[in-house]
Amino acid sequence: MFKHLYKVSLFVFSITLIISLCADAEQVKPGEYEVKAAFIYNFAKFIEWPDDSFLDKSSSITMCVIGDDPFGRSIDSIHDKPVKEKKLKVKHIQSVKDIKGCHILFISGSEAKNLPQILKITEGAGILTIGDTGGFAYSGVIINFYLEQNKVNFEINTKAAKRARLQISSKLLKLARIVGE
Amino acid sequence: MKIKVSLLFLIFTMLTIVVYAEEIKSPTSPDLTQLGIEELMEIEVATVYGASKYEQKVTEAPSSVTVITAEEIRKYGYRTLADILRSVRGFYVTYDRNYNYLGSRGFSRPGDYNTRFLLLVDGHRINDNVYDGAYFGTEFIIDVDLIERVEIIRGPGSSLYGTNAFFGVINIITKQGRDFKGTEISGEAGSFDTYKGRLSYGNKFQNGLEILLSGSLYDSKGQRHLFFKEFDDPATNNGVAENADDDQYNSFFTKLSFHDFTLQAAYVSREKVIPTGSWDTVFNNPRTRTTDELSYIDLNYNYDFGRQTNIQARVYYDQYYYKGDYLYDYPPVTLNKDRAWGDWWGGELKLTTKVVEKHLLTLGAEYRDNFRQDQSNYDEDPFCLYLEDTRDSTILAFYLQDEFKILKNLILNAGLRHDHYSTFGGTTNPRLALIFTPFEKTIFKLLYGEAFRAPNAYELYYDDGGISTKSNPDLNPETIKTYELSLEQYLGNNLHISASGFYYKINDLISQQIDPVDNLIMFNNVEDVEAKGFELELDGRWDSGLRGRISYTYQETENRQTGEILTSSPKHLAKLNIIVPVLKEKVFLGIETQYVSKVKTLEGNYASDYFLANLTLFSQNLLKSLETSATVYNLFDEKYGNTGSEEHAQDIIEQDGRSFRIKLTYKF
Repeated sequence: MFKHLYKVSLFVFSITLIISLCADAEQVKPGEYEVKAAFIYNFAKFIEWPDDSFLDKSSSITMCVIGDDPFGRSIDSIHDKPVKEKKLKVKHIQSVKDIKGCHILFISGSEAKNLPQILKITEGAGILTIGDTGGFAYSGVIINFYLEQNKVNFEINTKAAKRARLQISSKLLKLARIVGE
Repeated sequence: MKIKVSLLFLIFTMLTIVVYAEEIKSPTSPDLTQLGIEELMEIEVATVYGASKYEQKVTEAPSSVTVITAEEIRKYGYRTLADILRSVRGFYVTYDRNYNYLGSRGFSRPGDYNTRFLLLVDGHRINDNVYDGAYFGTEFIIDVDLIERVEIIRGPGSSLYGTNAFFGVINIITKQGRDFKGTEISGEAGSFDTYKGRLSYGNKFQNGLEILLSGSLYDSKGQRHLFFKEFDDPATNNGVAENADDDQYNSFFTKLSFHDFTLQAAYVSREKVIPTGSWDTVFNNPRTRTTDELSYIDLNYNYDFGRQTNIQARVYYDQYYYKGDYLYDYPPVTLNKDRAWGDWWGGELKLTTKVVEKHLLTLGAEYRDNFRQDQSNYDEDPFCLYLEDTRDSTILAFYLQDEFKILKNLILNAGLRHDHYSTFGGTTNPRLALIFTPFEKTIFKLLYGEAFRAPNAYELYYDDGGISTKSNPDLNPETIKTYELSLEQYLGNNLHISASGFYYKINDLISQQIDPVDNLIMFNNVEDVEAKGFELELDGRWDSGLRGRISYTYQETENRQTGEILTSSPKHLAKLNIIVPVLKEKVFLGIETQYVSKVKTLEGNYASDYFLANLTLFSQNLLKSLETSATVYNLFDEKYGNTGSEEHAQDIIEQDGRSFRIKLTYKF
């Protein structure tokens, strides 16, 4: 290797120089759950909740995560963000009993076996259910993320949305894969 | 003295890079919440399919995985799959001016047409049924421009895929019709009178039908004068092979998708003139050449039942035809024709389901009917038949894999596959992986795997009546046991370190030998081999388009009988790849360097170490819909050679010096 050391060093050095001169690195690559968090923030803007879901006009939109939390700190980016006149609040819940106060419920893959029980509570309660596990939308979760060609896509179960009395904007429906039951 | 100065210089440079990398790693994350849904849908996250036969996160795959994307293929100016694999951590490629041979973990055996790697295109097996060969050079069935990504899955994969998945599985994911949204035309020209053209059309229609059609033509005159010192005699043109390096192919690919069905068809025919005078043929005569023709049609059905249950069914029909023309001077000068035909069809059924909590179960069955595995060899005029061998065989296999989430941060991935061959009987191969994530950005993988490679028709039955090779129908499968521990560490959002240590043990390796009694080449289950080593890689990607990876591999192989290192087994491999954005989102510089340490040759000499650098200037959208690239390969014009095999008089075969290519691609 020594024979080439001089050549290698010279090469590596010139590369470094080129990078320093050319590269403008202003942004960092986001992780899967940062992207999903941003999606959820966007969903909140395109969905109309029934009037009885909020105590008064200024109260916040509560997003709950049930089950193993895949977001970690990436959820921080949407906590306290404004959605129309309201603010998005994120909280973690342990038990299905705590679902009542949520407007958005992210159901982690770990809750697959409790899904029917969870959906029984959310149905008709004006709660937007979101998942990222294959088959969740078929089972009655309103929005479900899936990956295609390494990109985050989502499917919407329109019947489930109707049952939950949520109005989903046509813009969102256009971008989604529509799923029946 | 010079070494010391160089060392200091190198250390200084490395430090500069580290400091610079730190600087780039600015703590300000992009505010994704400012993006709209359409923009979010365009952001890529990392997944892999081939490791478990379903899409999963790279970090949860039961193997050490590298993914090379279409973007890298364009920006590094890769011409063939061999170019792509050469850049991958731990891999090296040997070229004998006919085929490319892939090496990994220190293994690259003479006379092995890549039978120890399983090559897949969208999950379809490409290895043929006579030589079991996987073709990575110009003879590869898919134009590299049609590749969306290449998944390189290290280690044995027989527990899912059966034979050939010995050192690794290379899964090519092709582009989709929607990636083209119309017609694309591409032309390239390079050194050695090399020209290539491609015409593609792809689209997805309102009714859900997706279509991709593409055809490519390639023609290269190759090196006009190639000097081989082994033939340096007035009788053999003083060792110069003139106009004997031509390389041509045409290939076709189509993919139709409708709802849950995908129909694929592919074809390639490649003709290569052999300049090396291999197999004792007449030197410096372009009549010695080989043609490899591969084609397949594959129908795939993929249905999601919901509730995390997915079923996949596949039926296919494949054909392989090999035509070798070898000119001998017995005397008189006679054309010897070597032929192989392979025909096979098969089917696979696979079910992935999460019936039980915490268990993702994959169940599958596969059947393959090799209804033609024929070989023949004869002299044209005067006619003399040396070999006419007709064979057929069948393979039936069952497999099972369970991904068990024991704890929130602990996954056990266990797989087992049983293959039954009509030729030698049954073999069962397991794989176990424990994937532990103690912290969010730290992943440990402990991997154990077993694999086999069945002897192929060529090794079993090829006998050309005493010219070069004789048969050995008593061959058994060779087997491998591997242990690997790997660590993946993400640093911030941009940097990623992979480190792994491995120990491989191979028994009954099928090796090319020369029988001292009659001087004929034959295959035998003779060698037991051990390999150990470690790999380190740092890769980084930034949103500006800057990305890079730097890796080092140490590997040590030993033949257990002789205690010696294997031939064509470099101890050190080092790679550096960087894409530098020069003009935001428009112009990029792709820089690539590879170091391969010296290797032992068949005659016990050493082919010296070499350092290669390739440089690509790539632009897109400078003019609307136009993509251009210009590449210099072997920038420093390094003189180096690769090891020859038993069929070569050359112990070391010299490789190309500096060469160029320009490429234009236009979409309309």
